[in-house]
Amino acid sequence: MARVVVGKVSEIPPGGRKIVVPFRGKAGIGVFNVGGTFYAVRNICPHKRGPLCTGELTGRFAADAPPSLQGTMLSVDGLGEILRCPWHQWTFDIATGQCLVDETLRVATYPVQIEGDDVVVEYDG
Amino acid sequence: MRQIGSTPVTAPGWTAKPKDGIAIVDCDVHHNFRHPTQLLPYLSKFYQEHLLDQGLHLGGYPNIPIRSNRVDLKGRVEDAVETTPKNSGGDPRDFNFTLAFLQEEHLNVWNIDVALLTGPPPFYGYSGLPDPDWAAALCRAFNDWTIEHWLERDARVVNAILISPSDPPQAVAEINRLADRKDTVAVMVPMGTSRPFGNRFYHPIWAACEEHGLPVVSHIGGGGGATRNTPTPVGHPTYYMESRMSRPYFASSHATSLICEGVFEKFPNLKFALIEAQQMWAVPVMWHLDTDWKALRDQTPWLKRLPSEYFREHIRIGSQPMHEPEKPEQMYQMLEMLHADETLIFCSDFPHFDWNDPVTVFPKLPEDLHQRIFAQNALDILRLDLEEANGSPKP
Repeated sequence: MARVVVGKVSEIPPGGRKIVVPFRGKAGIGVFNVGGTFYAVRNICPHKRGPLCTGELTGRFAADAPPSLQGTMLSVDGLGEILRCPWHQWTFDIATGQCLVDETLRVATYPVQIEGDDVVVEYDG
Repeated sequence: MRQIGSTPVTAPGWTAKPKDGIAIVDCDVHHNFRHPTQLLPYLSKFYQEHLLDQGLHLGGYPNIPIRSNRVDLKGRVEDAVETTPKNSGGDPRDFNFTLAFLQEEHLNVWNIDVALLTGPPPFYGYSGLPDPDWAAALCRAFNDWTIEHWLERDARVVNAILISPSDPPQAVAEINRLADRKDTVAVMVPMGTSRPFGNRFYHPIWAACEEHGLPVVSHIGGGGGATRNTPTPVGHPTYYMESRMSRPYFASSHATSLICEGVFEKFPNLKFALIEAQQMWAVPVMWHLDTDWKALRDQTPWLKRLPSEYFREHIRIGSQPMHEPEKPEQMYQMLEMLHADETLIFCSDFPHFDWNDPVTVFPKLPEDLHQRIFAQNALDILRLDLEEANGSPKP
């Protein structure tokens, strides 16, 4: 298990991110602070290799039925927990790397530890 | 939706350059102004006041996402006035579009050898303007703005001049005005029209294109004004992705009209590219039109050859947005059915969110097919020399 200090906690406020390059390749990773919890995501979209971690943050849009039915619930939650690739707009769960629009796709994620003011990313290798 | 979290940042060091030595001719590179007032110096006094007093009236998609451009690109502008309507022709929430932006974010990153400027799709609404004189004035102004700010500084950058199809005499005058420029290599008309392109109404325009050796490049979009029909033959769809699925209707309607009206018998050297309107539609058009021609040709006896033969000789299809088939091998089958070695031209659609990069858009192709799609098919219709394109300065 390798461990890399990628920055200070104060550098990445809630809702913020830091792109760390290089990290196991020149594309790097994105380190995200989602509501106080830190996540690290590989910066290559598994769809078309776009720079995933430079995309906008969004949430989970949902509906329990088509809106032509009376009383349909339209909702959006988890704002800030979902990353939308700047190429082609596919969405991914930052915490798990799971792609929301293709269940067979997942982007690599890495465990993040906070040690004092250091943000530490772990990986096998 | 309000953007959540930090301003998007760009990733340093992230590029995926294709191999050197393979020419790339990109037939759909969008350039844009940040605000329509940038066109003021290129409008007459009358139309300056018209723009300021009346506005552009371009219409546009009523449901397109606000982020129509890639957010990973540098040069993002956040400080501009947010009150300018999205579809006014410029989008101040997006990029500071300049030649340097195009060079740094696209041409140099992907080793593009030739980039055909196609203008901003929100601006294509001019083709549906009820006032043909305003439409023609906008095209002239946009072309002159392009000449001053984009051309003659980078040999890779060539231009598809904008013309308004709603008034052929003014369109012909604009072609004649700019055809002799070395960087004028095509004539751009939006696909949103009030009658299909084979109609004799347009023939003076096609005659001018053929006379000057310029292909027509028609991009999806346009209209929104009073003269445009609904985006589908069955009415207005509710959601933007539905509108995107209607693109093949536009392209196939224009292609069949051009063939059946005998445009390519009348103008045997005319080439016509239909871009950003999908690709597979062309297969049933070629197959089924051949079948129907055998049964119904007495109505159009001026067609001397199979419709598919006119298609393969004269019509070109843009590669973006490319289908992503269910099975990988279906991509190869599709390219074969399309006669992609003759008909397909690479288009990136830079800088839009649904663009295709030149590396991942296709699986590994046979070298000859790769070279036809990425370079030679386009060079042939644009009448550019491959040696010249390859010899153009690289960073």
